[in-house]
Amino acid sequence: MVTTMSETLSAAAAAMGLPEAIVERSAAARAQETGMSIDEILAAWAGGKTVETPVPSAAEPEAPEPEAPAPEAPEEDTAGTAEETAAPPAPTAIIDVPSTPTLAPASVAVASGKPPTLIGSSDRPMTVVMASIGLFLAVFMIAVVGSSTAQDEPGARTSHVDYSAAGENGRDLYASLGCAGCHTQMVRPIVSDVGLGPVTLSDMNQIPGSRRFGPDLSDVASRMSGAQIGAVVGGFGGHGTTSLSTNELDDLVTYLMETAGVTE
Amino acid sequence: MAATQKADIRTLLGAGADEDRLAVSHFLIGAGFLVGGGLLQALAIFTLRFDDLLPIGYGLLESMANLTLVLGFAVISLLGGVYYVLPRLTGTRLWGADLARLALLGLTGLVLAGDLVLAVGLGSGRQPFGLDWWASVPIALVLFLPAAVTIGTLRNRRETRSFVTLWFVIGGVIWLPMLFLAHLVGELPVVGAVTASVSDLFLSAGVLTMVIITLGTGLVYYTVVKELDVPLASRQLGIVGFWSLGFAGVWWGLAQTVFGPGPDWIAGVAAALGLAFPIGALINAANVSMTLEGHWDEMGDRPGVASGVYGLYFAVAIAVMASFASFPTIGSVTALTTYWEAIEYAILLGAGSLLVAGITFEALPRAAGRRLPTSDRARTFNRLTIVGVGGVLVSLAAAGLVTGYSWLGGSNTAAFQDAGDTWAVGAGAAEVLTLVAVGFAIVTVLGQFAYASVVAGTIFSGKVVAQDLLVADGDDDE
Repeated sequence: MVTTMSETLSAAAAAMGLPEAIVERSAAARAQETGMSIDEILAAWAGGKTVETPVPSAAEPEAPEPEAPAPEAPEEDTAGTAEETAAPPAPTAIIDVPSTPTLAPASVAVASGKPPTLIGSSDRPMTVVMASIGLFLAVFMIAVVGSSTAQDEPGARTSHVDYSAAGENGRDLYASLGCAGCHTQMVRPIVSDVGLGPVTLSDMNQIPGSRRFGPDLSDVASRMSGAQIGAVVGGFGGHGTTSLSTNELDDLVTYLMETAGVTE
Repeated sequence: MAATQKADIRTLLGAGADEDRLAVSHFLIGAGFLVGGGLLQALAIFTLRFDDLLPIGYGLLESMANLTLVLGFAVISLLGGVYYVLPRLTGTRLWGADLARLALLGLTGLVLAGDLVLAVGLGSGRQPFGLDWWASVPIALVLFLPAAVTIGTLRNRRETRSFVTLWFVIGGVIWLPMLFLAHLVGELPVVGAVTASVSDLFLSAGVLTMVIITLGTGLVYYTVVKELDVPLASRQLGIVGFWSLGFAGVWWGLAQTVFGPGPDWIAGVAAALGLAFPIGALINAANVSMTLEGHWDEMGDRPGVASGVYGLYFAVAIAVMASFASFPTIGSVTALTTYWEAIEYAILLGAGSLLVAGITFEALPRAAGRRLPTSDRARTFNRLTIVGVGGVLVSLAAAGLVTGYSWLGGSNTAAFQDAGDTWAVGAGAAEVLTLVAVGFAIVTVLGQFAYASVVAGTIFSGKVVAQDLLVADGDDDE
């Protein structure tokens, strides 16, 4: 009687209690390791036999590791149960200990004989993809787009400043030097900010910042002269030094002066 | 033997197509960025106290540290973990391994180039990375590649049932490029300064929570179940935890400028929705704790599990602190202070790096085929990180509270009279607490060196061990 490969596969799968797809992949990997044919491997498994793996080269003294890490748990469901349900003991894996690192194909790595703890319920990952995108867009619309809605009606006062060319250049310098990492330009209508200057409105075009490790600078020019501001930027009073040219320093001071509405 | 190992290293880091080599490369490069970024971050905290001793200020150092640690360390390392678990959870080869390799090269190059751009003063000053749009666009484009690799792999999957880790992986890799795209909105000329600032905080909080915490938590689920070989306590809790993190990820960021020039309603919304952050973090920590029931004593032998679990608990503590400060009444004290600096530092270098270490310590021996040099060094990383980051968190948060209350009491008003001159005096006791934080930041750096030595030691000198070449055998008695 001639036995086809599919019959042998079915018999091996039945003997091992594993899905045919896993048995087939496992047999392919074992055949690659041992040099035997897939049919021979399957026939051996169908008969309940073990296929031994080759002994590591004797020239490689470092090969056997008695305390090798635990073998891979299976990622494929072999028992058709949910993850919370422990599956019956499956065949124990033979751990190949290669003399040098041999990186196994993932399709081989998934097959072993431990309880299926890494599987879950059947679902559609693409639904998760779409839902994740939808959730992000919803949060983005509320947080970012929502915050762009106008809050302050046009009135007598505005926080928008029409900067001169020097002021614009100073604003770019303020940004690129990372000044906003320590200084805010944002006066809030709360007790903490009383005395810092006019409350900043939502039409502002300065750099608000989100950390105040140094003084707020939205109205600094009202309390210091241009020369004093320049001295501080240059390192006076414990402020860090900057390597600005004279023109750049002038532009930066101009930006702060214009922000406060002060002209020298 | 040395020659053999060198040959193996070349194989590991070479241009092979194997997923595990890809993961190993990610872990190694990520560890390098952790050391560099950790030093930059420690220097940044140093300049908070001694801002006139270095030729570069806090603003630039913080941007460089953020770029190096977030993208260079955390994202690259976590992507290594993603490429490690994806084939194992889907039963198929990684789709587009070349794209993943391209993303690694691109990200590495862009982070290094970005640091250079910032150092020479060509940045935009926009937090968290300080990069102008022409430097941000390539990063956003490169970050779409891991998402494409993940979706492509999922489409080819042979395992039809999804372990919860897949949910977290999907969310993390998709939200990552979208956050960067959203941040670019702030560069549009029609967008005002306030909206640009909100988009900065949106990215800053989003990348820490929706990407680093989310991906890290998902990979911890894999690590715990895999290492201990126990079933997950509750799949449903895992899914709820995932959506909570996604939903809550950005709101604590927006709460940082409460009472600022943005819309008033944002503060209320941020406070209410921000509650989902600690809920999500707590659900995940509880789920993993229940999974560990009866196996707690095994954590000592498994540094990956220990790192991951500590990371989850750290995330809970930080989430509670962030949520607490998101309420407008508390926010009026903590806003703009070092309190939020402490939160960001602890999420990135506390919870984030512990979660990264969880998957790295679990995956590296299997992916590289080499054993961790010693578990002691991994435990040293855990201890130093918990002590160092915990110390920075407490001292900087306390400094923030002191500062905030001193402002309420009028010190802010006093300080501005001599802006830049007597500011340090006005800040009062906060200066001492900041100095304490500098000391703890140095402890954190020592832990980061321990982590890097574990990763590099495993790859370059770890003993060869069994790998993932496992074949089911028919003999139960084997």
